[in-house]
Amino acid sequence: MSKRSPAPPPSLPEEMPPPRSRYNRPRRFFSIWGLVIGLILGMGGGLAYAWTISPVVELSTEPWQLRVEDRAHYMVAITLAFAGDSDLNRAVERLLTLQGQNASTDIFQQVADTACRLASTGYVDSNSGLAAIRSMMQFYQLQGRSGCADTLIPANDIESTAVVVIDASTPTLPPPATKTPTPPSAVEPSPTAPRVVVPTSVPQRDFVLANVSTFCDAQISGVIEVFVQDFGGVGIAGMPVRVRWDSGDDTFFTGLKPERGPAYADFEMEAGKGYIIDMPGRSDPSSQQLVAAPCTTDAGRDAVTSYRVVFLPAS
Amino acid sequence: MRFIISLLIGLLVGVGLGLYLGWIQFPVEFVNSSMTDVSPRFKEEYTVMIATGYSGDGDLVGAVERLRRLGVENIPAYVQETTERYITNSRNVDDIRYLVTLAEGLDRLTPIMEPYRQVSVPGQAS
Repeated sequence: MSKRSPAPPPSLPEEMPPPRSRYNRPRRFFSIWGLVIGLILGMGGGLAYAWTISPVVELSTEPWQLRVEDRAHYMVAITLAFAGDSDLNRAVERLLTLQGQNASTDIFQQVADTACRLASTGYVDSNSGLAAIRSMMQFYQLQGRSGCADTLIPANDIESTAVVVIDASTPTLPPPATKTPTPPSAVEPSPTAPRVVVPTSVPQRDFVLANVSTFCDAQISGVIEVFVQDFGGVGIAGMPVRVRWDSGDDTFFTGLKPERGPAYADFEMEAGKGYIIDMPGRSDPSSQQLVAAPCTTDAGRDAVTSYRVVFLPAS
Repeated sequence: MRFIISLLIGLLVGVGLGLYLGWIQFPVEFVNSSMTDVSPRFKEEYTVMIATGYSGDGDLVGAVERLRRLGVENIPAYVQETTERYITNSRNVDDIRYLVTLAEGLDRLTPIMEPYRQVSVPGQAS
């Protein structure tokens, strides 16, 4: 056995392996730089489109996403509901929906802070607003919290709850059944048609609140002028009109001031109060309250805003 | 040429990735929304709360003013519709009673609501 000598190194240039350089590397199908730059640009464009140009249409906005003002009103609704049903668990569950991602903060103190903020605004100018803040105060005070509303809002006079004692008559037991068989009836019983309760449609209203306008007049200050007319604009006398406010209501009739025509009726408001007007059983209540707010006449005199309300037949 | 093709492929992949991230994985979360934008579920919940409050204090003016924040055009019709939907879907009976009380206050009591009316003795809260 003879030893084989190692192959001699190539001596000719064409036998030499080519040196590694950027010019003779095997070509990739893709350019890495092209891919990376494309990815970065594409992702940036995609995100910009998805976040700013065409963001997801939100169909499930939750209370915690509301702006501060509306969150406060949602909170007011929670405490008003608590005042109505005294269900603390439910109130807390509802308050938690207002918390969102900040679930660690003290929800009761948040109610106190919100009440404080509302109490220092014009929200308390109406009786409804005042009652709402008192419901918030009652809610957070029961949980041992306090806020500036405690000092801003005077303590409510707690009205004694009227206890109504009803003398219920002692129930009389029905007489026991006799053993005498009931004679067969000559009349064949007929099956009663099954009663189907179908959700009703919107009740037909005779009148609609066609127009509400305001005016400021020192002679006619804080008055609701009502006109009830038919299709032809002719006044209808004897039509009941009702106004309701936070602590009461009043019904009056058109045509009782003949000098103003058969369509006319009026009501004098109390300054600062809000009123809802309707024709009982014949029209829907106004969705916007008529507020007896102060105003200044063209002559510079102080007065209370008056309203002119027109009811027309529903088409 | 190779660079252009790679760039285009990168762009396509990047746009797809960006849209996926922006629409699905990390969608925009809106804050400072108005009460009119809140989901129907919470609109109903808000209405029930207002109705519950109204059952307690009888302040119709306040109830209507608060419901107006929902941006509903016809509040009585909206309350009636919500109440009837609650009845039809057999929702919480107490909630239905509160809604019926509010619907009655708005003169929108319909036959389907009659069994849920809360009759109050004069001088006593319902």
